[in-house]
Amino acid sequence: MIVVVGLNHETAPVGVREALAFPKERLPEALARVREEAGLGEAVILSTCNRVEVYGRSAEESLDAVSAFLARFHGREPAEIAPHLYRLEGEAAVRHAFRVAASLDSMVMGEPQILGQVKDAYEAAEKAGSLGSVLNALRNRSVAAAKRARTETAIGRNAVSVSHVAVELARKIFGDLRDRAVLLVGAGKMSEVAARQMVRDGARASVLGGRTFERAEQLAAALGGRAAPFEALRGELARADIVISGTGAPGVVIQRADVEAAQAVRRGRPLFLIDIAVPRDVAEDAGKVKGVFLYDLDDVKQVAEANLRERKKEAHAAEAILEDEIREFLEWRRSLEVVPLLVELRRRADEIRKAEIDKARKRLGPLSPEQERALEAATAAIVNKLLHGPTVHLKQMAGNGQSEHVGFIRKLFGL
Amino acid sequence: MDSRAYLLLTLLCYAVGALHALLFAVLRRSVLTTVSLTATLLGFAFHTAALSQRWTEAGHFPAVGLHDGASFLAWAIVLVFLLVYVTTRVDAAGLFAYPFAFALVFVANLTPDSERASPVLRSLYLPLHLFLAVFGYGALFAAFTMGVLYLFQERELLSRSPRQFYYLIPSLERSDTIGGRSVVGGFGFLTLAIVTGFLWNHSLHGRYWTGDPKEWAALVAWLIYVAILAARWRGGWGGRRAAWLAIAGFAVVVFTFAWATLVPAVAVAAR
Repeated sequence: MIVVVGLNHETAPVGVREALAFPKERLPEALARVREEAGLGEAVILSTCNRVEVYGRSAEESLDAVSAFLARFHGREPAEIAPHLYRLEGEAAVRHAFRVAASLDSMVMGEPQILGQVKDAYEAAEKAGSLGSVLNALRNRSVAAAKRARTETAIGRNAVSVSHVAVELARKIFGDLRDRAVLLVGAGKMSEVAARQMVRDGARASVLGGRTFERAEQLAAALGGRAAPFEALRGELARADIVISGTGAPGVVIQRADVEAAQAVRRGRPLFLIDIAVPRDVAEDAGKVKGVFLYDLDDVKQVAEANLRERKKEAHAAEAILEDEIREFLEWRRSLEVVPLLVELRRRADEIRKAEIDKARKRLGPLSPEQERALEAATAAIVNKLLHGPTVHLKQMAGNGQSEHVGFIRKLFGL
Repeated sequence: MDSRAYLLLTLLCYAVGALHALLFAVLRRSVLTTVSLTATLLGFAFHTAALSQRWTEAGHFPAVGLHDGASFLAWAIVLVFLLVYVTTRVDAAGLFAYPFAFALVFVANLTPDSERASPVLRSLYLPLHLFLAVFGYGALFAAFTMGVLYLFQERELLSRSPRQFYYLIPSLERSDTIGGRSVVGGFGFLTLAIVTGFLWNHSLHGRYWTGDPKEWAALVAWLIYVAILAARWRGGWGGRRAAWLAIAGFAVVVFTFAWATLVPAVAVAAR
């Protein structure tokens, strides 16, 4: 059976999540210990800043043991962490694994990082030798399902981070960003991320330096563009299509008059001003100049929120795709279960036995009660003795989690 | 089948497209895209059959009078929409083309054929003139659509809190570019249509300019397109002004067309 014990951003505050996180270098040790202490046949540990989860395959009830391991490993009392834990098994655990990989369980729904983190977690388990056929199948199916959900729905489509929203807005104005001019005023981290993306799309970058011209030159070099002193603002504005301003200046850096002067040269071509500085760099009334689209940090965040709402609308479509994939996975799992196989094997053998007895009776004519009993006993003994070996071995294999032969055996007996 | 039966089938097919546009505007998400596109292609085939059938029945090119005029204009609009869609994949263009084509074919289905069979209509200038005019109108309709989409998207972006249309409508640059190409194409066809109109006038009346209101309207539309082209030629970006002009230009064209179909060319010709 597949089990999941863990906590995420919804069930636990950041303090608890930090306390229970597994550093990468301790994963092999943790995987070995959880297998031993909780009797798991296979184990995977997913530890990100928003979630800590242990995935396992176990033959018997192991939820308590896994919970206890989580507490013990991090030197906590089980009762202390218990209220933050979710403990799932069987179908619920499988569903959870699929939803996590598809980013439906993420704090920012549809964010792309989680799939990579999930893959890393399985890889670490594989290296540590704690990944077997069951969890490996769970990995393959859940990763494939997550990819399907991403391509067939819009859960990951609209940007939800400030830098990416800025890029997306620029695309909504200028379409293809090829050969568009991006001007960075000030050299902050967010501006850099947005500018990098635009340069990847084919835009040309220039950086306007302030007090620290060196930093501007470094950034310009990294973006494959050029640096200019701050005094060149008006000329640079006239040449730019997209301006990302993020200086640490206490007051307004770009006045309405600067923007008007630039627009006069640009003959009405649109100018996209993104002001991500707090306090703001661009005079508010600069947005009233014709052809100017001015977004401050709050505006960009508002778009990000609207985008997130769009993603959430797509959630049910993604859930439907996952349900499809989950059903297939569970059906496949069931086809590998040993107990139903044994039941079917026995039933099939009994059917054959009964049919053959009937045939024999027709040929032999009426039989005495003793003869009847002897016939029954002899055929039953043949069936039992033939099935004894396979039954014992199959049960043993099931205990060891080796279920990969079940499909072959089914084929062999035409079940 | 006669042309009427084909036209009714056309209407049914275009109804799917109109429904698509309605759902698109109300739900603000693109649904039924493949279905409506298939239905529209099928409808266009029926429509072409209806027109060619009607040509045989009427004995002259079928674009005189409300019935034939509406049907022919719808045919050109659908053709241009399909061309725009195939080349640009902007499905928001259907937002206007689908209902417009449906409404025109609906009108065509309700109105009687005009039974005038004046010998002037046999002139070869007529189909030539009408084909040029109707393609001009179709292209200008596309420019009008892109102009509206441009203004919608601009409003979304200026509001700083984009709603649904933000996601569905192409970028400003795209609307601007497609609109610009449509204006160039439409302008070319309209110019040729006006020239052939003058030539037809000359062959009938011995003069090029008869002072007919639709000549004035065509001239005004033509001047508006000259203005749009001039605006684009200077800046490379048409922007909001070009969008408004494309809408205004199309309004004038609709007026011209309505005039030309409701007060048929025959009336002028008979003067």
